[in-house]
Amino acid sequence: MKDKLLEAIDYLKSKGVNYADIRFSRQEVESIKVTNENVDTLSRTLDQGFGIRVLANGAWGFASSSKLTAGELKKVSNQALKIAQASAITKREDVKLDEGIVYNDHYITPLEKDPFKVRLSRKINMLMKINQTLQKKPEIKIAESSMAFFKTNKIFVNTDGSFIEQDLMESGAGYAATAVEGGEVQRRSFPNSHGGDFMTGGFEIIENMGLQKNANRVREEAIQLLTAPPLPAGEADIIIGASQMALQIHESCGHPTELDRVLGTEISLAGGSFITLDKVGQLQYGSDKVTIVHDAACPGGLGTFGYDDEGVKAQRMPLVENGRFVNYLTSRETAGVVGQNSNGCMRADGWNRIPLIRMTNINLEPGEWELDDLIADTEGGYYVDTNKSWSIDDKRLNFQFGLEAAWEIKNGRLKTMYKNPLYTGITPQFWNSCDAVCNKNHWHIWGVANCGKGEPMQIAHVAHGTSPARFRNIQVGVSK
Amino acid sequence: MIGKDKLYTTLEKVMANSKADQTEAVFLGSSTGLTRFANTHIHQNVAENNTTVYFRVAIGKKLGVASTTSMSLTDLKRCLRAATDIAKRQVENPHFDRFPEAQDYPEAETYFEKTARFSPKQRASKLKRIFSKTINNNFDAAGAFTTGGGEVAVLNSNGLRAYQPYSTASGNIVIMGDDSSGYVNFVSHNIDDLDFAALSNTALQKCKKTKKPKEIEPGKYEVILEPAAVANLLEWMNFIAFGSKAFQEETSCLAGRVGEQIMGQNISIYDDALNPAGVAFPFDLEGVAKKKVDFVSDGVANGVVYDTISANKENKQSSGHAIMPDESGEGAMPMNVFIKPGNSSLDQMIANVEHGILVTRFHYINGYLDTRKALMTGMTRDGTFLIKNGKLSGGIKNLRFTDSMLDVFSHVAEISSESVSIPGWWNALGCNRVPAMRVSEFNFSGKTDF
Repeated sequence: MKDKLLEAIDYLKSKGVNYADIRFSRQEVESIKVTNENVDTLSRTLDQGFGIRVLANGAWGFASSSKLTAGELKKVSNQALKIAQASAITKREDVKLDEGIVYNDHYITPLEKDPFKVRLSRKINMLMKINQTLQKKPEIKIAESSMAFFKTNKIFVNTDGSFIEQDLMESGAGYAATAVEGGEVQRRSFPNSHGGDFMTGGFEIIENMGLQKNANRVREEAIQLLTAPPLPAGEADIIIGASQMALQIHESCGHPTELDRVLGTEISLAGGSFITLDKVGQLQYGSDKVTIVHDAACPGGLGTFGYDDEGVKAQRMPLVENGRFVNYLTSRETAGVVGQNSNGCMRADGWNRIPLIRMTNINLEPGEWELDDLIADTEGGYYVDTNKSWSIDDKRLNFQFGLEAAWEIKNGRLKTMYKNPLYTGITPQFWNSCDAVCNKNHWHIWGVANCGKGEPMQIAHVAHGTSPARFRNIQVGVSK
Repeated sequence: MIGKDKLYTTLEKVMANSKADQTEAVFLGSSTGLTRFANTHIHQNVAENNTTVYFRVAIGKKLGVASTTSMSLTDLKRCLRAATDIAKRQVENPHFDRFPEAQDYPEAETYFEKTARFSPKQRASKLKRIFSKTINNNFDAAGAFTTGGGEVAVLNSNGLRAYQPYSTASGNIVIMGDDSSGYVNFVSHNIDDLDFAALSNTALQKCKKTKKPKEIEPGKYEVILEPAAVANLLEWMNFIAFGSKAFQEETSCLAGRVGEQIMGQNISIYDDALNPAGVAFPFDLEGVAKKKVDFVSDGVANGVVYDTISANKENKQSSGHAIMPDESGEGAMPMNVFIKPGNSSLDQMIANVEHGILVTRFHYINGYLDTRKALMTGMTRDGTFLIKNGKLSGGIKNLRFTDSMLDVFSHVAEISSESVSIPGWWNALGCNRVPAMRVSEFNFSGKTDF
């Protein structure tokens, strides 16, 4: 494949393009899902092909194919070139890229156990056993447990001279118990909702999740929720659990700091951003307890890689420093707008998609509190955890999150459990109300494997390192 | 396009090597182009030529699925072996009996050569005209415009053979000013069905008429939901209420309530994949011919869609709504959903509102809040108007709604006679075909700054 790709890059150079890159990707996915002791998903998919991005006449063209022949590479090169020429019909100014650095490297995800070499029967047995534990009580009508593994080989070449190969491995698992009685449906999930938790690495991730040992608790909490009272509406102090903090960061910090959104290029679908260019270094995004970094190199994160899909090396950079907004997530095309070089956030979800600015690992730096001390320090309020629903406006200001469960905090202790908790807020007001973040003992990097953006839709795998945090005077229980 | 004969020959040759009791092959191929624009120029312009073959095999009641994007015989045979290996290691699925039998399919006009071959230059040319109009009005244009074609084939060892080519044209246009915006979206198998001048004019007029939006307080309002807004809500209903999995797991608002009045008597919702007014397609991804399915008839809960396995759980027949073989655990999903039109018009509805809100579309709806009540939340976007004394009275800043769709669809006072096809999550092989509605009570629970 290497020779074919280099030959195609030489061909594009001979056509006088401003710039071109080619990405070959081969991804194997294994998915297993057990529902009520029935293996209802068990599949292996192989998805391979290449995408060619051409900058010609100052405008972009991209074409892709699953047919891996030298002839097809040449045909698709010409197709991308023609598309760039069509794009140039409406251009307002030429696209300019940052200078870029040339790399010749091979990055491999560190792992202990290749999940594709672990016997299928072992994986099925693990998931079955969890199902059986969850189904020990008749109130649990749906027991679901799942695992998925992604093995990706990517080769990137560009006209600047880079040649980068990456072998990435991602592993994840999770389960949920759904209790149904009368008109009531309540669910508890572990270690997170929406499919569980994912990281880069091998089967050791699954083994270290503590899946089976939490199954009894998860089942009992789902049943308790059936008779729990709904969270009353009003203003309250809340401590948000670490997994929900991941989604809070994702929606209200990750997306609005994507510079393509700020520049309006995602406006028609995902929307824009309230963090406009004039706010760099000016916006008090959060309180001084809030420091959020983009860190594509942190070990184990689902957004960890060697190089992004423009061939920019993985890096770490603060987005919010002690509450002040300082940096965007950028690409080679957009970074110049803020006087920088790309900080390496361009990622595509496959060979057939162009890279877009995506989150990597967007992490809330740990604070100083032990969770028990933080609860003890809270006179009244709620501890809320595990996401159930999410919604935010198209500039990422007004958000509303629904959660699986809440517990009242009274005089520094966790008390009554509540069902159907919701909280809502306006992003900068909310983050400025943060007065405490738990320490590294409670910090975990949560994988979010379903981040949608772009047209055609692309699903990115990103992550958020978080620990529980406290927010003051938040509107809760805002359902109808 | 590979074509029916070559596809059948290739896949039959591979299936002949199968060691399984039953074998199924599903082919999805497409050649599509998508032009995205923002700030009134094209900034992303892509083409994709893709093929995927899924093999699903059965050894007794054990099922295995594998897929590949390669069409080489060697890779296809390897993929079939992988599916067989998986089936050997599977546990029995008590609800699986056999793959569907050979069947006849109704004629459906799904392929238009001009649409399938529409070039990037032709898309740019259409957009250039929209851009000129936008620039003349000192606005910006953004959106996406897809054209292309594809083919779907399903074969199985029971002799079932299904093949259908299709073409697609779909997209959206947002026209934006400093503090206002307007929106329109579109879908059809045939590009000649789409009037880009009229579509872009709709978005442009909304943008003009919502300048300097006023802030209003959240609360219960009478609303007019334009078709795009209705489709946004319906899309979530399809997902949480009308599929077999949600129904059988009792998380759907229809579960246990069939025969009950759950919405107003003027509401009928159904899947009708063969209706040419929508984006028709004759069979599902198990090769089962599509049947019309009533979800809600005159407000009464009726039923949901099925694939073969979910149908077996209730001793029913598949309705022809199977999705991808590797996602079959998610059950059957509706893809061509209609709401029965009424006899009103948008103008008449506006005239009938003394104090209310017109919503063009919603953004980022989430329907997981309480699926039994179909409780959803989301934001308004791109053309939210105040209505005063029967007339549009300028734009308002966007609002968050939180409401039960059972309540909303029980308070529909008027429905337009005209329906519009709105692209769905599966826009190449389906859509939501919906009218506009006047709802006498709709709950806005929050507001934002723009």
